[in-house]
Amino acid sequence: MTQTPKSLTVKDLTKVFQTPEGPTTAVRDVNFEIEGNTFFTMLGPSGCGKTTTLRMIAGLETVTSGDLLLDGEDFRRKNAFERNIGMVFQSYALFPHMTVFENVAYGMRLRKAPETLIRERVTETLAMLRLDGLEKRHPADLSGGQQQRVSIGRALVYRPDILLLDEPLANLDAKLRVEMRDEIRRLQKTLGVMALYVTHDQEEAMAISDRIAVFSKGRLMQLGAPYEIYTHPTSVFVADFIGKANFFLVTLDGDAVVAPNGARFGGLPVVQTVDEDEWFDRTDALMMCRPEKMWLVAASERTGDTGFEGRATRIQFLGTFVRYLIESDQARSDVIVDLPAFAPGVSEGDAVRFGPAKDGMVFRKATK
Amino acid sequence: MTAAVPTKPRRRRNIAPWVAGGLTLFVLVAFLLFPIGTTLLNSFAPSGERFAFGNATFENFTRFWTSAQYQTALINTIIIGLAVTVLSTIVAVPAAYFVARVQMPFKPLIMSLSIIPLISPPFVGAYSWVILFGRSGIVSQYLRDWFGFQMPPIYGFFGVILAMVLANFTYVFLFVQGALTAVDPHLEESARVMGASRWRILRTVVLPLAIPPMLAGAMIVLIEALGEFGIPAVLGGEVYVLSTLMYFQIHGYFNLNAASAIALVNVAITLIAIVLLLRINRKRRFITVGSTTRRAALQTGRGIRIVANLYVWGLLAVALLPQAVVIFTSFAEKWPGTRWPLEYGLDNYRYIFSRIVEPMQNSLMLAAIATVVCVIFGTLTGYIAERKTFPGKWALDLTIMLPFVLPGIVTGVALLVTYNSGPIALTGTAAILVIAYFVRRIAYIYRSVVAAVSQLDLKMEEASTIAGAGWSTTMRKITVPLIAPGILAGAIIVFTTLISEMSTTIMLYSARWKTVSIAIYERLESQEIAAAAAIGSVTILVTLLLVLTATRVIGKSMSELFS
Repeated sequence: MTQTPKSLTVKDLTKVFQTPEGPTTAVRDVNFEIEGNTFFTMLGPSGCGKTTTLRMIAGLETVTSGDLLLDGEDFRRKNAFERNIGMVFQSYALFPHMTVFENVAYGMRLRKAPETLIRERVTETLAMLRLDGLEKRHPADLSGGQQQRVSIGRALVYRPDILLLDEPLANLDAKLRVEMRDEIRRLQKTLGVMALYVTHDQEEAMAISDRIAVFSKGRLMQLGAPYEIYTHPTSVFVADFIGKANFFLVTLDGDAVVAPNGARFGGLPVVQTVDEDEWFDRTDALMMCRPEKMWLVAASERTGDTGFEGRATRIQFLGTFVRYLIESDQARSDVIVDLPAFAPGVSEGDAVRFGPAKDGMVFRKATK
Repeated sequence: MTAAVPTKPRRRRNIAPWVAGGLTLFVLVAFLLFPIGTTLLNSFAPSGERFAFGNATFENFTRFWTSAQYQTALINTIIIGLAVTVLSTIVAVPAAYFVARVQMPFKPLIMSLSIIPLISPPFVGAYSWVILFGRSGIVSQYLRDWFGFQMPPIYGFFGVILAMVLANFTYVFLFVQGALTAVDPHLEESARVMGASRWRILRTVVLPLAIPPMLAGAMIVLIEALGEFGIPAVLGGEVYVLSTLMYFQIHGYFNLNAASAIALVNVAITLIAIVLLLRINRKRRFITVGSTTRRAALQTGRGIRIVANLYVWGLLAVALLPQAVVIFTSFAEKWPGTRWPLEYGLDNYRYIFSRIVEPMQNSLMLAAIATVVCVIFGTLTGYIAERKTFPGKWALDLTIMLPFVLPGIVTGVALLVTYNSGPIALTGTAAILVIAYFVRRIAYIYRSVVAAVSQLDLKMEEASTIAGAGWSTTMRKITVPLIAPGILAGAIIVFTTLISEMSTTIMLYSARWKTVSIAIYERLESQEIAAAAAIGSVTILVTLLLVLTATRVIGKSMSELFS
């Protein structure tokens, strides 16, 4: 059932849209390579260029410049309908005038497959998606989850070289979303098809992907496995977008990091970042700490650690951990601290002291 | 390994839609813009000559200053246009409110009956008013004998305005009724929760929401009224309007350049009126259709129900009176100026039978050909306009919509002037009629298709493409099947309104290509009223049968087609 592995190369891919306000660059010099049956996710906020990149790969959008190669063969010279890809849309885009069976069979019929093969493949695909028995229904008579399954079936039935998924789960409710994403990954691995997945949901991206490409403002900011991106972000944007992060304005003094209140931290990795954060106009560097990698105590408590002061405005008990929201003029915005248990003697409204426990990092603006 | 790949690979572009769009554009330019342009230029040429830079003159326009006949025609057109628009709106809005919001029986029947005036040959109905209210009309005679009351003469303003209001109020009725039915019930419910009384809700929520569709309907009425030929031709008497004056210039003096000048003035006042109405309507853009499929609660009070039924059925009775009179007259065999006919029978039908076959054939054939051409090109062009971006798109849109604002007689005059002589002399052929019908009606299909395609998720077509279908396959298997109801609805309107088309045909028909409307007009001219009525009755019947059959096929109601 698995297919011969393919490889997709995206080289200096750029898309410029002509708008009434003049040309806008939606995608700028994007490079990546995907091998075999990798589950590859393009992640970013809306308008970051991830969907445009996907649509260029699909052939639904023209390429302004750059190369698309599938197994070394120029993909740009093929029309969308000649590329042998499968695509799943957020709106499902099922054909309302066709039955479930005909929807799934559509691509097979276009490929002029013999009727027996069509019947066999469609039946097999519907069974795999647990849609057996619904062949004669029309899309309007199906639930959202079922419709999305049909649309996945329609994209996979003719064994495409690449499966493209454009926010396929955005219209489903939260519980179904979690269920479906595991199912999509299971199917993709079973069939051994390369998958390109677009989402703005970072949790979904982390859960489903082998590799994640984080996009911002048309650029590919970082590419890597989920763990790598979370633990070693190379920019303020990625650190902020993936998971939760606290930022503190600091200055650099040799190897040491100095906070405005005089607190000094040593031994933190310093990363030169490319992003143009407006905070760099006001400070040399930003120190980043994940909420679960921080300590917090009541202000009255004396400890040897250097840290920051603030006020706990809200304390949320979230089951496996306790979340403290802290107002502090020493951070870029409100600080989040997650502790495994309640900090003794701290109530809402109390003054607290807090700081990085380990694994913080510092972003410095790239010197040009 | 990729060294051999050319740096600027080009994919084949799909040209099929562009060819279709280009062809439409060509036809529109050749048979709409060019004739209109020619008309515009020739209106500056001396009588009997073609325009050249040397002979430019204002001669044709100066009559609007010097000739009392021109001046009164202009003023009459404006007065009649405004009066018809205002009265149609006043008459239609209460009816629309009642049908949309009051518990009433037989609503589908009311909606179906309301569109009969739109699909009947306009001037046959007009002549009915003469039969009823003319000097020796049925009603006039009773009024005189019983009450000593002398009816004002039906010929002139009174008759023209009355006939036009009753022929056109349906546009406002359908638009407002549709909007009021579709208003999100949450709007009124939230007003009620906030403590507003029913009257206050009506005044501050419901009626303001009805204003944009009301103005949209009023605009169509105004355009129709400014360009109407049949009714003023039959009922105008001494009162000339621009369209009858144009006809007079051509059929009386064959002065095409003078007619061109009148056409230009006619278009100018239509455009001014439209710009004014659009300006009034500009700030009122609401999205009134909510997500719920629930309808607003209907009023069930006894008082309001009595008022609503009386008003709506009374209005329909008056509006359908002309059609009833036509059918009645068609059975009258001897009617020598007496109050009622002396004998009834089928003689009129026997008389017209041999004479109606050819015009009916002509009408059906010309209308059918024009409809098919409109469907093919309207669909492709509408699809391109909605789905593709290209420079000059606004120009295409504007050109296609232009015949909406051009009085039919102006389009007729323009085509006549342009293709009367020269290398492509088309006057008198069936082709010129089909072309005229095409340019005048393609907008209906175009608009239906644009609306239907904009409702169609683009992703559906993309999904088809990705699955491996080229443009034409996607069009055939996905797009066209899904927008077919919209196309068919447009086609029905085009076909039925073309069967009894008058304003353009009157300028372009020939002895070989007479249509039913011309046949009726000729009978009226020669005072064969009963024969005209018989042809009119057959036309109404044929048209109604066609519409009913078509609505059965596509599962839409008659009134939905025209909204």
